[in-house]
Amino acid sequence: MVLKAFRRSVRAENKKLRGGGVWAVFLLIPLLSAAYGTFSFCYNSAAVTQDWAGLWGQHTLYYALFFFAPMAAIYAAWLWRLEHLGHNWALVMGMPVPRPCLFAAKLAAAFRLVLLTQGWMWLLFFGCGKLWARLPGTPPPACLLWALRGALAAVPMLALQLLFSMLCRSFVPPVLLALLGGVAGFLFVSKGWGLYWPYGLPALGMNANQGRDMLGGQALPFAAACLGFTLLFTAAAALLLQKWDVRG
Amino acid sequence: MTQNAVETHDLSKVYGTRAAVQGLALEVPFGSVYGFIGPNGAGKTTTMKLLLGLIRPTGGSIRLLDEELTPANRLKLLSRTGSLIENPGFYAHLTGAENLRIVAELKGSDAADIARVLDTVRLTPDANRKVGHYSLGMRQRLGIAMALLGWPTLLVLDEPTNGLDPAGIQEMRALIAEMPRRCGATVLISSHLLSELEQIVDHVGILDSGRLLYQGTLAGLQEHSRGDVALRLLHPEAAQAPLAAAGLAAAARCENGEWLLPPLKEAFLADLVGSLAAAGAGVVGVNRRTKSLEEIFLSLTQGGSGTGVV
Repeated sequence: MVLKAFRRSVRAENKKLRGGGVWAVFLLIPLLSAAYGTFSFCYNSAAVTQDWAGLWGQHTLYYALFFFAPMAAIYAAWLWRLEHLGHNWALVMGMPVPRPCLFAAKLAAAFRLVLLTQGWMWLLFFGCGKLWARLPGTPPPACLLWALRGALAAVPMLALQLLFSMLCRSFVPPVLLALLGGVAGFLFVSKGWGLYWPYGLPALGMNANQGRDMLGGQALPFAAACLGFTLLFTAAAALLLQKWDVRG
Repeated sequence: MTQNAVETHDLSKVYGTRAAVQGLALEVPFGSVYGFIGPNGAGKTTTMKLLLGLIRPTGGSIRLLDEELTPANRLKLLSRTGSLIENPGFYAHLTGAENLRIVAELKGSDAADIARVLDTVRLTPDANRKVGHYSLGMRQRLGIAMALLGWPTLLVLDEPTNGLDPAGIQEMRALIAEMPRRCGATVLISSHLLSELEQIVDHVGILDSGRLLYQGTLAGLQEHSRGDVALRLLHPEAAQAPLAAAGLAAAARCENGEWLLPPLKEAFLADLVGSLAAAGAGVVGVNRRTKSLEEIFLSLTQGGSGTGVV
């Protein structure tokens, strides 16, 4: 029964995404990030190896450092903003679905957005490589895997951002927190503590600023960190929702 | 099985030190249109939110559709309930039909039901317009349509005519009045205006400061509207003896040449008029000074007489 309610909630969330302003963010942020990354790649030819791995490093450096976490935060904030507006809290909380399902469905919808964004990011990477940087051949298949891994690594961050945005009616503060979290994530990763910071996981997953696989033999701890953080933040949100008195 | 679709026992909700609802014993009969009336801040919305499990009670219990409302069966009861609390919730960037699809999905109701509810609230021609472009009245009707999805057995509507113009109020009133017939649902509807509901409700609960002041049929409330009896006499001084004989000497008072008597049963009044005529008082007029329902409501909610009222 819970699974059915979850599926219904996911379908409802996906319907809410239709025609929303969030798609402009989906299109523009990876585009901006790709332009930055390619520009940096082309004009730092002395410092950056001129191949697909080098281009991936430059693309993901800017993407993971400045763009990815705030973009995920905007997705999360937008999904909750729909309920913060008007009297939508009373509407959704009065529906015959378990309250934790509402949160889990938003997480699923946000993950779907991030997954699509990663696909778009990879297409831009490929397009910029061929048409702008004029690189020969095709990118190594591992780049596609890293893009996918970045989406999976975003799940705990999305859960945390959804938790913030559920609690905060304003759009901006959670996005600013994500920006700070993303920059801090790079510091954590550079110190080797990326697994312990939800905002560091996407940089690890995507091998940001690296041409080689940073995870190496750490796939299991990486998966455990993703799962652990996700469960923690989702459980916190579910607990809060269960005890929530709808005021608005 | 009880006769009530909604029953509360000693229900209360306290925010900090302020009691929003206290000791509420609501009884909404199955198949009725129950008007829940009270001034702004009386606790109507709080009560409705308690009934839907949107807020947790501080004390007391709730029975909905013959079942105790508990965290375990809340979802089951919600699936049989349609609600519109305060103003309707909606997603302005989507069309009316898309909004209904979302609610139908969450309620697990058939998508084909959407056409029915659109038709019921007369929104079919505007179903594919964005809700952001809807008028206030259309949004209220969309809110009712959302509540009607899934054939609910209980409809909880909180001030559905809020903010509507007179034509919109009239339209909404007609829509709600036909709900029991069209959908077989019990309707609990709130308003701060008794006059707004008296044409469509058959039961009434009057709430003030979180307490129920009156509960019963609308006809019962109208009974309370029987006011003083005013007698116009040619010779008022001749009325003393018959009034004393009828046991009304203390209750009767003379104002502006008229004798004012407390509410009397009709047979008793007929006898009294006969006695007055026989005593030569010269009865030239008998008037019942009826109170309007609005006056009763005001007298109840402003701590007035409210004689014989719960």
